[in-house]
Amino acid sequence: MRKTNPSFLNGVPELLVLRLLSRGEMYGYQIVEEIRAQSGGALSFGEGCIYPYLHHLETEKFVSSARRQVEGRSRNYYQLTSRGQNRLRELSTEWQRVNTGVALLMGEQYA
Amino acid sequence: MPDFINRLRWGLLALGCPAPRVHRLVREVADHREDLVEAALAEGWSKAEAEVQAEVRLGNPQQLAEDLMVSQRRASWCGRHRFLAFGVLPLLTFPLLWALILCLNLALGFALGFGWSHSRLRDAADNPTTFHYLAIMVNSAAYVAMAVVAGLFCRLAGRSAAGRSWMWLAGLICTAHSLFIHTYFSPHNFAMTISSQPQWIQTLIPLLIFGLAYWNQRRQVRRALKFAVA
Repeated sequence: MRKTNPSFLNGVPELLVLRLLSRGEMYGYQIVEEIRAQSGGALSFGEGCIYPYLHHLETEKFVSSARRQVEGRSRNYYQLTSRGQNRLRELSTEWQRVNTGVALLMGEQYA
Repeated sequence: MPDFINRLRWGLLALGCPAPRVHRLVREVADHREDLVEAALAEGWSKAEAEVQAEVRLGNPQQLAEDLMVSQRRASWCGRHRFLAFGVLPLLTFPLLWALILCLNLALGFALGFGWSHSRLRDAADNPTTFHYLAIMVNSAAYVAMAVVAGLFCRLAGRSAAGRSWMWLAGLICTAHSLFIHTYFSPHNFAMTISSQPQWIQTLIPLLIFGLAYWNQRRQVRRALKFAVA
């Protein structure tokens, strides 16, 4: 049996951010709002706390950023790189594995 | 610049976040605040009310600075495992790096045509002039390894936002390590040993590097604060 990656839960914000960026480039506020809206309010980043994660993803070359002016506002836009796409595939597979395992363990009433 | 942003900048600098990272975080949080203000304005609030709402959502700047530092640390391995990274790894890194530098020196000798063969190395060790150069090579490899380890852990402490106390712990360990590590070298034999005789000269290397890193941090903080006031 494969061991569960112990740092996997640390990777959940990373998975969410990469998933959103796979749909198109976004800026920090937009990512926070999308996570809140698309999870029906169940998940939320502390306001502003998304940035260290984004900077880390950029250091790892999973995302790239560029400062651009759109509709008179200058913001940092983040975009998924090809390395980030590979990372997203890895994390998604891991997530499905953990999710299936937890669902089996919890039984039908929690599924 | 709003007072909220200045207080956030001060909070991050006080917690030991490196100045270039503070600059970027503050700029992005300022953008985020502006987005929150715009969203509140779009809902029909007045400018003053929208600004209050944005700052309520962002929370206390000191708390936000602490949360940002925590997120920053969680984002890197060194930040999550600070004891291992700054308390244990400096001890392990030094001998490995020393061996690597020695190998690189030998590879350089090979590339320059001095050769690798056992007989040539033995002849070099028996000759006082070439032995003198070999001794310089072995000792300088240890000094370079100490300098690189000290520089590496200063940089890691900054990059992972581990804070000054962890940087000082790594500095203390590097200094103590270099105080008692002795590179023993004689013809046909060299070794790295722990000696009860303090090695004062090589101890100066990590002290100097950590001192320079601290001085550089203070300089960056002063520059960032001057920028904040302006």
